[in-house]
Amino acid sequence: MSEPLAEREGPDAPQAGLAPSAFADLYTRHSRAIYYLCLRLLNDPGKAEDATHDVFLKAFCKRNQFRGESSWRTWLYRIAINHCRNLLAAWHERHMLSNADEALWENTAARTDSPLRVVEIRELGERIQQALAGLPGEYRLLLLLVADEELSYEQVGALTGQSADAVRGKLHRARKAFIVRFRQTE
Amino acid sequence: MKRQTKLTAQEQEQLDARQQQAAAAAPREFASVEEMLRHDAQCTPVPPAIARRLEKSVRDLPPPPARAWWRRFFGS
Repeated sequence: MSEPLAEREGPDAPQAGLAPSAFADLYTRHSRAIYYLCLRLLNDPGKAEDATHDVFLKAFCKRNQFRGESSWRTWLYRIAINHCRNLLAAWHERHMLSNADEALWENTAARTDSPLRVVEIRELGERIQQALAGLPGEYRLLLLLVADEELSYEQVGALTGQSADAVRGKLHRARKAFIVRFRQTE
Repeated sequence: MKRQTKLTAQEQEQLDARQQQAAAAAPREFASVEEMLRHDAQCTPVPPAIARRLEKSVRDLPPPPARAWWRRFFGS
């Protein structure tokens, strides 16, 4: 949040409800994660900016409905994921995955344990965006959520409607698919 | 006896700038996809306009409706 709000007190631990005065710290702590998720899901900085604004505005309006059963981060992610899904559905931008693509990943010898080498760090964001855009939506979301160290596999599972074991299982395929796509961007 | 040279503030700044440029230009390896995404997220700034818009939007929200008299009466 900007300066006037940033001076106010904020929450450190999950708690039921949220005083308006603590909202600024909530934004400060989580806006980067939410903006990054929106950016990589929507593939458009302008749309990501709008979406991040809308997500936090929704969170502000519904802050009294927060019961502390999850972390604030998880709660915000849930709002962001639903918001982005609605936008993508409205824009008919949902990418369908063909079987040919599946076969490509399965048959490509992409080692998931070898380091990913990037020569031009400045182009990293564009290459990541291209690689993510080539993945099925489920893999894309899974990778973005698992990359957040504040989320456990259980929390990622809760956000994506599956068990932690299912997350672990799909993650291997998601990583492999990403690496294949990422190397194609070189 | 070892001779020590002190850098001036300007020389130190130039040295820091060169080191930053070298670091930016150097190839970088990531051990995992997640590590790469975390690095990308850290390098992706949040547009400051979002905070300004959000602050205005919050300010412009209509006040919450007053509780109905029967809710106040029954304490629900």
